[in-house]
Amino acid sequence: MIYSSLLFIYGFLPLSLLLYYVVPKKAQQPVLLAESAVFCGLIGLRYLMFTAAYTVINYGAARLIRRYRGKNEMASAVFAIGVSFDIISIFVFRTALFVPLRSAFGFPEAFFPIGISFMALSAIGTLIDVYGGKAEADMGFVHFALYFLFFPRIIMGPVLRYRSFVKMLDSRKPELAEIGVGLTIFVKGLAKKVIAADTLFVLWVAVRSRDVQDMSLLTAWLGISAYMLCLYFTLSGISDMGIGVGYCFGMKMPQSFNYPLFSTKIRYFAARWHIQTVQWMRRYVTKPLYAHCAGRIMRRLIFIGVWAVFGFWYTFSLNGLLWGILIGAAITIESRISRGRIIDTTGVIYTALVVMISGAFLAGEDAVYSLRYLLAMIGRGSIADRFAFYLVKTYIVVLLISMYASTDLFRNMMIRSGRNRIRTAFAVISPLVVLLLFVVCTAMMMYSGSSGIMLMKL
Amino acid sequence: MTKLINKITAVLMLAFISVFMLYSVFDSKKNRSSEENRELSKRPGLSASSLLDGSYAEDLVSYNADHFPLRSRWLRLNSKLREEIGDGIINGVYVADDMLLDADTSRRASSGSSAAEINRFARDHSGAVYVVAVPTSSGVYGERLPEYLDDYRESRQISDFYDRLNKDIKRIDAYNILKMLNDNYIYYRSDTKWTSYGAYCVYRTVIQKLGFLPTTFDKYSIRHVTSDFRGNLYNRSQCSSVKPDIMDFYYYNDGEEVLSCTGIYNSGKIVAKRIYDDKQLDSDYVYSAYLGESVPLLKIKTSVNNERKLLVIKDSYADCFIPFLTQHYSEIDVLTPELLDGPASKFVDFDSYEQTLFLFGIENLSDSSIFASLNH
Repeated sequence: MIYSSLLFIYGFLPLSLLLYYVVPKKAQQPVLLAESAVFCGLIGLRYLMFTAAYTVINYGAARLIRRYRGKNEMASAVFAIGVSFDIISIFVFRTALFVPLRSAFGFPEAFFPIGISFMALSAIGTLIDVYGGKAEADMGFVHFALYFLFFPRIIMGPVLRYRSFVKMLDSRKPELAEIGVGLTIFVKGLAKKVIAADTLFVLWVAVRSRDVQDMSLLTAWLGISAYMLCLYFTLSGISDMGIGVGYCFGMKMPQSFNYPLFSTKIRYFAARWHIQTVQWMRRYVTKPLYAHCAGRIMRRLIFIGVWAVFGFWYTFSLNGLLWGILIGAAITIESRISRGRIIDTTGVIYTALVVMISGAFLAGEDAVYSLRYLLAMIGRGSIADRFAFYLVKTYIVVLLISMYASTDLFRNMMIRSGRNRIRTAFAVISPLVVLLLFVVCTAMMMYSGSSGIMLMKL
Repeated sequence: MTKLINKITAVLMLAFISVFMLYSVFDSKKNRSSEENRELSKRPGLSASSLLDGSYAEDLVSYNADHFPLRSRWLRLNSKLREEIGDGIINGVYVADDMLLDADTSRRASSGSSAAEINRFARDHSGAVYVVAVPTSSGVYGERLPEYLDDYRESRQISDFYDRLNKDIKRIDAYNILKMLNDNYIYYRSDTKWTSYGAYCVYRTVIQKLGFLPTTFDKYSIRHVTSDFRGNLYNRSQCSSVKPDIMDFYYYNDGEEVLSCTGIYNSGKIVAKRIYDDKQLDSDYVYSAYLGESVPLLKIKTSVNNERKLLVIKDSYADCFIPFLTQHYSEIDVLTPELLDGPASKFVDFDSYEQTLFLFGIENLSDSSIFASLNH
């Protein structure tokens, strides 16, 4: 079950909210844990067993490390084993190489634990924090298990530090207004997924079905724009839905994306894309490595290398690695060339160009396809053909609207407008807009009951 | 102020969600949707394996959607919305200006293994075998589809299929006949199938190959039985912007008569049937007015006095085609292999027919398993 399904929205969500608010405050956290277990169980009992075992193993490791920290070698040994276990498990489940190993443990070939990538990052980060003595929060089992299994977080993050999660959990102040905020964020995410991402996906599929060897330039650019927008709307849509549901339970988790696609610098793109994951990489990989290397060139290489790891984390293939290297290199070059401010429009255009060009690597299944696609984007074939014009004619409105929606223009307008009438007017009609979008999304999910295209298995 | 508005949003949304949740709990559950012309999914049964791999919840998602309150209204809204955004493909159906076309390319698989089954049939039995593969409306009106969907043309699929048939099997090129006439009302706007008129145009050629002179068009009196027919493409897309279709019955008043028409079910039960069954016009599946509700075997006896027997092996495309044949044979047996549960030889002796006609829509030929019962 995913957030964008009628069963979740009209069944699981209202029932779990009801139960949560009916029970006394003391019982709310166990109830949340139980509800999360049911959510995992509905994805599959095997999934529940997997996530439960994963949580228990990491819990055991964290407790052992805390008990023996600074006293004897035991802490280091458990730490090493725990981190290796987490790293190995993400490789085992995200690549096809380990199918025999998986089946040895009784997992069928098709089994994929959704959210394993986020769970593994959370687990590794927590073990490092505990080992370094930075996770002095309450290590009760309910807290720890919720950190892993809290259902609004399990599918698409955000990757939070254990300490901040526990702080959030303990400072919950659920009230009606928060539910309103939460449902607004939820509907925003739902609309991103159901209206924008699913439509753009059809455009991308139409382009991908063509032979890349004689693709026209215009087709290639339309395709890659559709892909990047679709990726953004899928990832941020699902993550918004999760965060919105979290708000309904009084958990104010931070947003994962902050309108990254049309930033004025690649550096800003990098800082606004999957914010917590990028921060995780900086905190647990880049900084410790920097501490050992003072040389400037060495540090640059590390910086690009960490971006390569981040890219690899997306796809677990060479292509993701190349995407990461490109983005990392682009940021490095940018910081060398332009230290000052650049004009907004130029900046937006060149950032978008870099994002689209490197996006060819995320979009393609293998490096050869991606290189051919890049050739099409520089115009090896014709400039435009009938197919491209057909796509422009059919999708131009969708593309323009979704591009606008992926910029921060509207939000900035609202902020700048201060306390004037426009803002008030928007505020007053916003409940109706939310409801209207919600009705539209419900109708668009009605045929199959859900909207499940994930684009990437994370 | 902001807080108040957030509270309003919360109340509005929670009310909307709870109303539909309660409505769907207490709503009476139907088994069939007449709008979509299909059986709705049943409440999934609990089993260890379905819980283990999560298919229980997946079934529950589609059960929930199938029985969602006001589902048909939601679907109509869905189709209106999807016409506006994107490329106008709703659930695999393309909305062209005035007709719906099947845009689901996954159905256009190869029909090579069906050809092999027909070859086997022709080799094993003595009579002459004739084959007609009828294109769907997307084949005949392919130029109206978005260009990238028309890449795998049905004409090529049909000629591939014909090329795989043995030399002694006679094939009839329905595609080019229909393509030439595509200014006429030969295909339904809301269905993949041909109209009676489309079937008549192909009948003229088929019957000559079978060795008779066709009945000319002016001999028929045509009755418009309904102008409110919504076909399978409508069922899938729920797109009501395209006009409903007209269904015609063709009567040849001075011609030969149908003396008896009996349907035989798998159980052996025999029922009286009619070539045109008016009663079905009020049912959920209006198209079954042709030949009535489908049966595995239909035996037609006519007043033609030539002792000629024809076996037709067919799918639903033939339903409006069979009535034209009744002017030429004293006996026609119509076998729908899709509906058989056992070997066909239980019902018919294939060697007793001097002519066998296979008449199928190309969309139904990619699945060769329907022929398994013939060559058992």
